[in-house]
Amino acid sequence: MAPVSVKPDKPVELRWPGARSEFVRLVATGKSGGAGEIFSIEGKPGFLAKVYHTTTSPAHLAHYRQKIQWMVENPPALPQVPAEYEDVVQLAWPEALILRESQFAGFAMRKIAFDRTLELDYLLNRRQSALEGFDADYGKLVTVSFNLAAIIHCLHDKRIAIVDLKPMNVKVYKAELFVSILDCDGFQIAADDFRSDAPQVTPEYLAPEFHDKAVAAPEAQDRFALATIIFRLLNFGIHPYAGVAADRRIYPTELAGRIKQGLYPYGKQARSGVRKVPASVHEALPDRLRELFDRAFAGGAAARPSPHEWTEALAIYANRQTDQMSLCDRGHLKFSARPCPTCLRDALIHGASVRRRSFVARLQAAPARTLKYLKKTLQQTHSSPFQAALAQAQFAVVQLTAPSVSTRNAIALEILWISGLLITYWWTR
Amino acid sequence: MLTALWLLPLAVAWLWRPRQAIGLGAWLLLLAFGALGAWALWFGLYAHPVEPAGFEVWKPTVLYWSLAAIMIATPLLGGGYPAKIILGTYFALSTREWRWINRGFATIYAVLGAVNLWVARDASYNDWVGIKFACQMNLLIIVLFRLNFVWLPILAEVSIHLYRRALAAYRVVSSLF
Repeated sequence: MAPVSVKPDKPVELRWPGARSEFVRLVATGKSGGAGEIFSIEGKPGFLAKVYHTTTSPAHLAHYRQKIQWMVENPPALPQVPAEYEDVVQLAWPEALILRESQFAGFAMRKIAFDRTLELDYLLNRRQSALEGFDADYGKLVTVSFNLAAIIHCLHDKRIAIVDLKPMNVKVYKAELFVSILDCDGFQIAADDFRSDAPQVTPEYLAPEFHDKAVAAPEAQDRFALATIIFRLLNFGIHPYAGVAADRRIYPTELAGRIKQGLYPYGKQARSGVRKVPASVHEALPDRLRELFDRAFAGGAAARPSPHEWTEALAIYANRQTDQMSLCDRGHLKFSARPCPTCLRDALIHGASVRRRSFVARLQAAPARTLKYLKKTLQQTHSSPFQAALAQAQFAVVQLTAPSVSTRNAIALEILWISGLLITYWWTR
Repeated sequence: MLTALWLLPLAVAWLWRPRQAIGLGAWLLLLAFGALGAWALWFGLYAHPVEPAGFEVWKPTVLYWSLAAIMIATPLLGGGYPAKIILGTYFALSTREWRWINRGFATIYAVLGAVNLWVARDASYNDWVGIKFACQMNLLIIVLFRLNFVWLPILAEVSIHLYRRALAAYRVVSSLF
């Protein structure tokens, strides 16, 4: 879709808070989303511009203008970052309106350094994150979870909710472990002086009470999505509602259906009708975190832990001084006094493949083994005393010796023997 | 066709024959059964029904007494115990046990030959036929014995051999794809 009549050669007006404005040129980046297109701003390398598509209806555009105007004037107070990381962008928050010929066209936001970040989605798969140059361990994952919860806590303090919170909308700084949340213009705002809904949702991260209906309590939705993301981060990408059917009842094939029915198999109390995925390592997580997960997924909306509770629970693990994380014998970072989740995962994954290979090998060798056993039984040459006793018990009346001739010789002798038998029959009939 | 039916197995037996020395008992049994077999083939397959008149009554006795004679003569000539060949060489029995089995066989065959003649002379034809077939029970016992302890191990051996061949062939074929 083409952007709202913004031509690269025609300057647009950037209107900053306090009515300060300046004219700049936009340069296409080739990146486009559902609502608009992303441009870089000439002379402002630390910023990007989002210009809404021309197909956006005037009513929507007017609403966007109101929303962006409010957002530009009311930036949330974000968690503080050390001075050396001041270039870290935690929110792609609108910082200036973009006007073309005095008409609202989009907004400018701080640029997130894509070369220093990766999508949180990649962290759900260790191999994928390693390919992206991020060696994920539990210390980093806990820190990322903590930073994400902290940002959401700050947003909720200002009565702003993300609603469509999902790993794809979150970037992670590879070295600093801070997180950035994208698509801020889609947030839900419930301030005293302004209100804006957020209709966009993702079923896999949508709280059970909002399936098939509008999100009436956006903060409760954020709490659910946050718990889901943290669970996946700490459990090798396994979704809290990914499980295995435990009985003959109809088990929904889609995650959304399982969320709706509350089929959460990783609780401290077993859930009937569903079993955990065998590769899950949730049992290696600290009790405090497991209690929070149980409240988020097995309790009702009211019991769901807030982002602040998550920051409190995760802080002790994200902070190196607390010694709540230690190295296992194989050098993996793990929660102190708990089994190593990485080793547990290795054992579960490789154990299963070893067992599978062993089973297949046993299956393939079964016919030969049976024949060998039969042969040894007939020849009474069992090496195992138990099997020998068993074999001898079967032929206790007559003891056999090993044949002194080859099979072919034996067949030749038996042909003669049978011939003799037939001759005998003829002579005695 | 009929000739091929008996000649082919004998040709296979000749090709696959053990190359070790044959004992006196085995030789005597081979000669006796060779003669009896030739007679059976000639009069059973080719010259039937021109068998000498009255010989029918003597047939079982000729066989039983031939076998009894071989079983009695062979140990006396130092040629071992032919009962061992009839039952099977795989049984781990002592010489003494084989001797008594051989004597038992000789006695049974001698008695069966005499009984055949006595019944043929003193009883009706139908009774003689009945007794004759009843005497064949000893054949059945020997066959069952042989089947269990000799043929089944050979069958297992052959099955293992064929299975290995099939497995090797499967591996060769599967390696092509």
